[in-house]
Amino acid sequence: MKEIFSISGIDIFQRDFNQIMIRGNEHEQLNQIINTGVSLNLPNENLKIVSNDNILIAKHSFDQWNLIYFNDQNYRDVLKLVSNLNSNNQVLASDYSYGQVYFDISGEKKNYYLNKLTHFDLRLKKFPVNTMAQTLIARIDCSIYHLKEKYIITCNKSFEDYFTQRLADSINL
Amino acid sequence: MTALNNNNNSRVTDSNKVSFIFDGKKYFGFDGDTVASALLRNNIKIVGRSFKYHRPRGIYTCGIEEPNALVQILSENDEPNTRATVKKIYSGIKILSQNRWPSLENDFGYINNLLSPLFSAGFYYKTFMGPKGFWKNIYEPLIRRSAGLGKPPKEFKSKSIHHHHNVDIVIVGAGLNGLLAASKFIDTDYDVLILEQDNILGGSLNSSQKIKTIDNLDTRAWIKKTEDLIKKSKNIKILKNTLATSYNQINHIIALEDNSVGKPLASHKPELILHKIRTKHTILSNGHIERLISFRNNDLPGIMLAGSFEKYIFRYGVIPEAEPIIFTNNSSTFSLLKSLVDLGCKPKAYIDARDESSIEKGTKNILEKNKIPFYFGSEVEGCDGNKKLETISIRNKEKKIEKVSGSMLCISGGLNPDVHLFTQSKGLIKWDEKYLTFKPETAFQNTITLGSANGNFNFKRVIEEINEKLSLFKINELKIDLESDCPEDLNIIELWETNNEKKSFWSKSFIDIQNDVTTKDLHQAVSEGFDRIEHLKRFTTNSMGTDQGKISSINSLGIVSKILKKNISEVGTTIYRPPYAPLSFSAIAGRSTYEFYDPTRKTSIHSWHVKNRAIFEDVGQWKRPWYFKKNDKETMYEAVQRESKELRNAAGILDGSTLGKIEIKGKDALEFVNLIYTNAFTKMKPMTARYALMLGEDGMIKDDGIVCKINDQHFIVTTTTGGAAKVLSDMEEYAQTEWPHLNVYLNSITEQFSTFNISGPKSRAIMRKVFSDVDFSNDKFPFMSFKKVNYLDTEVRILRASFTGELGYEIYVTPKYGLELWEKFFRYGENLGLIPYGTETMHLLRAEKGYIVVGQDTDGTVTPLDLNLNWMIGKNKKDFIGKRSLSRSDTSRKGRKQLVGILAVDRSKIIEEGQHVVESSSIPSKIKFPVKYLGHITSSYHSPTLNHYVAMAMIEGGNNLIGKKFYVTQNQSSENISVEIVKPVFLDPENKRLLS
Repeated sequence: MKEIFSISGIDIFQRDFNQIMIRGNEHEQLNQIINTGVSLNLPNENLKIVSNDNILIAKHSFDQWNLIYFNDQNYRDVLKLVSNLNSNNQVLASDYSYGQVYFDISGEKKNYYLNKLTHFDLRLKKFPVNTMAQTLIARIDCSIYHLKEKYIITCNKSFEDYFTQRLADSINL
Repeated sequence: MTALNNNNNSRVTDSNKVSFIFDGKKYFGFDGDTVASALLRNNIKIVGRSFKYHRPRGIYTCGIEEPNALVQILSENDEPNTRATVKKIYSGIKILSQNRWPSLENDFGYINNLLSPLFSAGFYYKTFMGPKGFWKNIYEPLIRRSAGLGKPPKEFKSKSIHHHHNVDIVIVGAGLNGLLAASKFIDTDYDVLILEQDNILGGSLNSSQKIKTIDNLDTRAWIKKTEDLIKKSKNIKILKNTLATSYNQINHIIALEDNSVGKPLASHKPELILHKIRTKHTILSNGHIERLISFRNNDLPGIMLAGSFEKYIFRYGVIPEAEPIIFTNNSSTFSLLKSLVDLGCKPKAYIDARDESSIEKGTKNILEKNKIPFYFGSEVEGCDGNKKLETISIRNKEKKIEKVSGSMLCISGGLNPDVHLFTQSKGLIKWDEKYLTFKPETAFQNTITLGSANGNFNFKRVIEEINEKLSLFKINELKIDLESDCPEDLNIIELWETNNEKKSFWSKSFIDIQNDVTTKDLHQAVSEGFDRIEHLKRFTTNSMGTDQGKISSINSLGIVSKILKKNISEVGTTIYRPPYAPLSFSAIAGRSTYEFYDPTRKTSIHSWHVKNRAIFEDVGQWKRPWYFKKNDKETMYEAVQRESKELRNAAGILDGSTLGKIEIKGKDALEFVNLIYTNAFTKMKPMTARYALMLGEDGMIKDDGIVCKINDQHFIVTTTTGGAAKVLSDMEEYAQTEWPHLNVYLNSITEQFSTFNISGPKSRAIMRKVFSDVDFSNDKFPFMSFKKVNYLDTEVRILRASFTGELGYEIYVTPKYGLELWEKFFRYGENLGLIPYGTETMHLLRAEKGYIVVGQDTDGTVTPLDLNLNWMIGKNKKDFIGKRSLSRSDTSRKGRKQLVGILAVDRSKIIEEGQHVVESSSIPSKIKFPVKYLGHITSSYHSPTLNHYVAMAMIEGGNNLIGKKFYVTQNQSSENISVEIVKPVFLDPENKRLLS
């Protein structure tokens, strides 16, 4: 975990998470594999999140889910779950662990701050806890997950330097 | 003229004295003063020169509508065209007047005024027609030099930012109506954003004493109480110093906040904030704009709008003149008259175009009681003076001219609801015969207009209107009393211009003061046939200045309607375009400048490249090593030649992480891949790969890449770097819309793998060292096959493929280990001569081998047949994207451009990319007849291995021209290079190196 900055009302940390992108229509079969692997059920509703202390699963679209491990995970275990999922011919699971970067943003001014970088409506009544969105932040494609009192933002790793600089720039201006 | 102080009774106090520089001279004002109020305080009359005629100009208004007082702020990077009526002073601010040389008092450009009889409407269009060549060499440079106001600013690094908002209600303008409306939403569930252009709330309540009390409190106490309540409520936010400039579709509003009002620019803070606001409802309570009246020399310094004069008294605490003359056609000037008298000032004369019977009793009582000369049924015929107002000629009710001396004339030609934002939102406006103005009629979006912005000039109707118009929200009704002694009605009569008595070439009755357009220009334009208001606007440039004719555009409609003998509603209006007031480019750009101009993407090896002297090339948003400099002196050409040579002799490694990678899986993955690509994949063995082409539906090559087949249900494909996102989205679109019956899923895995391409005769030896458990022999690891290999706690995929024509491998590894593995290659490969190489070397190497690059050798009009890639088309396949188009008459005709190789007959010659292939040995210096053109050079490089240039070209009927000789044009010479058409493979046509 790396602190990007922490000032009054805003805390931003860069985190090392693991991630699996899952696609498929066979909800029940998928659910079984996931439940066996991580003891959570897949969310049914688009853009909804289910999570516990260790794992987050979000439904991106009608046939797409995203699984994020919050804690240090044995990488082989992640790849094993990918392999288990892919044993079903009608499921595609791709390991996204190190191709993405993760930012944990919290603090009472987080909405004000993020709205310097995104047009997305972050008001609680429009973006409640346990929902997610895919939107542009600092002009790049990001996913934003709303957990209790914080956001997890992910983007492609290739944008890491640019995005980190934009985060720091926006706090200064 | 001597200005008086009214600071005790205004929003600018004299507690903080501030010094400022205007045209090199030091003056004093007070904290809170605008440049204009500070200049008036110092009795400065002339503040600028007019755009076209360089006539001396003074301060005409007190706000954003100002046409004259535009100045350059030297202390802010020379920012030009700043409105003196808006810009606040601060200690040390340096201001320069504009459009004059050598000085404001004595401007050489005034010669234009003397020549003005020549500069009638359409002067430029009619005059600069000939002789031939004059436009480019004489007229245009001359006009460009003299055009524009102010000088371009110095280069500076903007720190403007953008801020986004999502709210339920936006209130534009926090004057009386805006504050009343906002007070209804306090502590409700609505998220409300208030935009106020001033740095204090209250709007016109601060500019006059028209309202005595609100809710039994004096206006200032009520503003403070309301502001405190709003600040305490959690659902309402106020943005001061913020001007709403654009009202776009779907209730999207752009507003500009000046973050450095009344203080110097701070180096660590944004100077401007562009607010982008999405709302459900918009309440426009942005007030009204007073308009002028046209008469002879109505631009002389000393003439000011009456409402602005009053605003200077109460908002800024400066009475520009103790004895002004007032000229009006409506009752809005009552409050100015009363205020002046209450302050102990006595207007020198009061001129009213209305009949005595139409003038309200209160006005007449004040005039009579204070013995103020009163001219009813009269008008100002014109004004005279040397660089400033000295004499006013009044045409009295008997139509006789009386002259009155005076240095300040306050005029009011009526009030216009500020409908700019409303019309930007596509709301419809309608002519109102009672108030002689356009009023909002039908909103196109969720827009509510209140108060004078809605054409309601009666304070007694304010509360009723707010309760009625905001009744759609479930909020409490307002019950507030307003006390005002102003006339309830505007009681206006029509008066757009007065008749000139004094005929002079140099006397002008202006309609658009900023653009120097006169009423005579309007008459002339109509007489020349420009009788449609949009045509007339462009012919005369009326209301095309940066103020968009805010104080005069309705007057011009009035005048034109008279000329055309039509009603104003029939003449129509021109369109008020966004932005409402000029925006600087820095505000529009926000942070998307300099280092953040475009998001940049870097591979996991980027830091190594930087350390090893890589020069980067932008490929889309990616930073790719272009070439690696061996030392500071090495040129790009030398580096590329060296890299190519060393790779062909030993080995080179390229960071190919930017290549697009897509994982395809599903029961029907094989059928999907067969449909997407031209190649046949059915008989392809698992764990093998194929170079594949993707076409558009028009049969033209769209992208290429390598398809790796894990099994019939699982593929991994690569794309070009630039085409990755488009290819994935196209695949997804086909999967979801064209072939929804196919069970297939796609994931982008571009970022999930660092990719290296290692090539060269020593590459196998290096691979053996790095992956010691893998058998890289030809038998066990043939060309276009791949393996998965364990590496630390992950797997690496190794594909034997090449884009250089040499023995080569592609390695795919998680970015977690990308840099580590890259460095490992160098640890093991350095002794074997391994070097890093960049994209330019890659291009050279592939050109030697005749491999194409999509986007360089193709341009969206090239089929696989044109490239002789017939072998890549699965002829027995039932279908694939673009198949049908390949048999169209045009795509299958003979004589299409085809890919060939080009070699100079004299091998020492340089062939340039992009040059034409022609039949003649030279090109005439002046081309009178078309030169037959066969095609163009798509790629050309000097091959260090062959020691001459190798080039590829797309030329008509190329396949039948092999062995023929033609010519290639040159950039710097009309002599063409003699070339030979050859097959586009220059090195190792037997693939010995590739398959070694």
